[in-house]
Amino acid sequence: MVKEIIVIGAGLAGLTCSVKSASKNIHVKLFSPVQSERSQSVMAMGGINAALNTKGEDDSVNEHYTDTINAGQHINNHNAVEKLTNDAPEIIDWLSRLGTSFTRDDNGNVDIRYFGGQKKMRTAYAGARTGKQILTAINTECRKWEYKDKIKRYVGWRFLSLILDDNKVCRGVVMINENTEEIRDFYADFVVIASGGMNKVFGKISGSLHNDGFVTGKLLRQGVELANMEMIQYHPTTIETPVKRMLITEAARGEGGRLYTLRNCEKWYFMEEWYPEQGALMPRDVVSRSIYRVCHEYGLGIDGENKVYLDLTHLDEKTVKIKLDEVYDVCMNYLNLDPTCEPIPIYPGVHYFMGGIRTDDAHKTNIENLFAIGECSSQYHGANRLGGNSLLGAIHGGWVVAEQLEEIQCENDNSKEYGKILNCEYEAYENWKELQKENNNVSSYEIEKEIADIMNKTMGIYRTESELKDGLGRLDLLETIHVNSHGCYYDYILLKSLISIAKTMLSSALARKESRGAHQRLDYPETDDKYLKTTVTSFDNDKLKITFNDTEERMGW
Amino acid sequence: MESITVIIKTSEGMKEYAYEGNLNIPVTTLLERINVKHDIKIHYSSSCLQGLCGSCSMIINGLPRLACKTFVNEEEMTKKTHKITIEPLSKFPIVNDLVVDRTSMFENIKNSRQWLEEEASINTDNLEYEYEVSQCLMCGCCLEACPNYTGEDDYYGAILPVTSSKISKQEGDMDKQKFLKENYSNHFYNACVKSLACENVCPMNIQTQRAISIMNRHSIWKFHKLLKK
Repeated sequence: MVKEIIVIGAGLAGLTCSVKSASKNIHVKLFSPVQSERSQSVMAMGGINAALNTKGEDDSVNEHYTDTINAGQHINNHNAVEKLTNDAPEIIDWLSRLGTSFTRDDNGNVDIRYFGGQKKMRTAYAGARTGKQILTAINTECRKWEYKDKIKRYVGWRFLSLILDDNKVCRGVVMINENTEEIRDFYADFVVIASGGMNKVFGKISGSLHNDGFVTGKLLRQGVELANMEMIQYHPTTIETPVKRMLITEAARGEGGRLYTLRNCEKWYFMEEWYPEQGALMPRDVVSRSIYRVCHEYGLGIDGENKVYLDLTHLDEKTVKIKLDEVYDVCMNYLNLDPTCEPIPIYPGVHYFMGGIRTDDAHKTNIENLFAIGECSSQYHGANRLGGNSLLGAIHGGWVVAEQLEEIQCENDNSKEYGKILNCEYEAYENWKELQKENNNVSSYEIEKEIADIMNKTMGIYRTESELKDGLGRLDLLETIHVNSHGCYYDYILLKSLISIAKTMLSSALARKESRGAHQRLDYPETDDKYLKTTVTSFDNDKLKITFNDTEERMGW
Repeated sequence: MESITVIIKTSEGMKEYAYEGNLNIPVTTLLERINVKHDIKIHYSSSCLQGLCGSCSMIINGLPRLACKTFVNEEEMTKKTHKITIEPLSKFPIVNDLVVDRTSMFENIKNSRQWLEEEASINTDNLEYEYEVSQCLMCGCCLEACPNYTGEDDYYGAILPVTSSKISKQEGDMDKQKFLKENYSNHFYNACVKSLACENVCPMNIQTQRAISIMNRHSIWKFHKLLKK
């Protein structure tokens, strides 16, 4: 029987895994740099998909499956998507029973609305702050298990490395307490990684600063395979603010928001003209490419700049202020713009990583006893994610892992300690201290800026071989630089990880010589059936290796 | 281009930095720019940068606020004096510079057993209210502003009625309801002087007064009625 697990990350994926495991009498050590309230999950606005079929539209789990696979351009793990879409209605029911304040329709059912890439109303929501409302409910449940000592939280701890035995089986983790710089080892039957996306390689994107990608980069260098790293979602509607590019939820279009630009001084609703059936609610990759075309091919950005309008002014004021309250607040606070009176200037921005740690339909990684769930995992979304499937995927990951743990027979002896890796981490820490004494180190801020610049230039909506190769060359140069991380060890090790991840992304983009979903090559504009595969990257003898594997491949443990 | 003096209370004492540039930025962006410009690291907590996660609460020009929602050019005091003062919350232990340890707040809520014993009962009339209080960021601004909260006794501050009022509306277990009432009396009602500073500073505009009156009605007044009989 499984006695104890370690969960790294306390957003929705990590929380779900923890409370579900605790309810099955499994002890959980839950690590996170900050409390769950600070996680990126609270930023998810629009909703969570489930074929509830309460609107008389004859919706079904099967259609949810088909829409997800079509949006992902058929390189999703089909078995995983089948389970995801099957479990979705039960997940909504579970969340409801936990006290999530979902918006409800006149019949008292959880309300559902239209979202991109889906022809049926299928997206359940709680106002415009669905992620926060769900997190509050699961976090409330988590408190119970903390109180009962089933879940022990370690807040302020960051991941340093996996502890692998001689057979490359995961036995535990080495962690560092950010406040005290204490470095410690922890052991358990299984380790579950729920560390989120890889935002920091692009500098600042729509999501949280905490989802920086450090864990994913570090795992790669410990032998964990990554997958579909070239699949990066540009959300069609983000706004430029002095802080960062902020997201305007897809729900704004789901509620009837329209996209237009000005052509000969007249409003041109290009999405409605190009895609009469779904208009602005086409899958995100299609909408983003269309906006790109309007600005770059037609030269019809607003005021000569790369932006078009998202118009909500024709919507009922109550819809904007209540159902889309977050949109209203963000526009008022950061743009001084009232979206009930004026259209919102928008342009696509980096939002989500479909790729990440390579996982099969059971959320297993290639390393035995190591699972990955949430945005850091990679099996659900293929080449493009549907809006409303990220919250679902995050919760489902935790759900699926906990379900399996109940059934696994395991007789691990966790009393054995593996000191070697712990000593390596101590040593690395001491080396950094020595290095920081040098005078001519380059500021970590400069390196971060350079990485973000490389990524934004080469991994845009459209990519080319020459730019990607140029980017890889620039990344190589960064690896030899001595860094000044202003007395902060984490900032130092983070940079190494970011460079690894960036290289993996560029190399994957270079290897996939076709255009599919979020990966568009100007030099290979066609989709090629040869690439109906998962792009797999691994680190072998200090070198990146890329292969294309079957999308359904299981990890074999 | 405008210039101001930024005064920051760091772990090494008060420091002053000259900032020149656009002031139409939130305080988190101001801190970020100071760090990059001077190639230093003043520690502060931030995550979402748009008022959704409660990481960046600090004292700005004397008031507890979320740094990411506080725009420098809208600060009346800064307009007059061309200075902005940034300090860590004072009612929590300091970890580093502007970073504080808010563990006690989470522990108090956990020890107040703020969870459901049974499945949530759903009453659509309560949804709007439950949605509102579920927005609580656990940022600590209400506790900082509260004249009664010290962090050193068993008074838990406004976050208790905010979370309890939702739980008590959804909970079906009667023993738990009884516990919630007693807990509220012991850790809130007996010490709150109703200054309602909490409502003034809440970055999510949660009506703490309403939460308090719901819990009073629930816990205290019914109890008094019983005594009269």
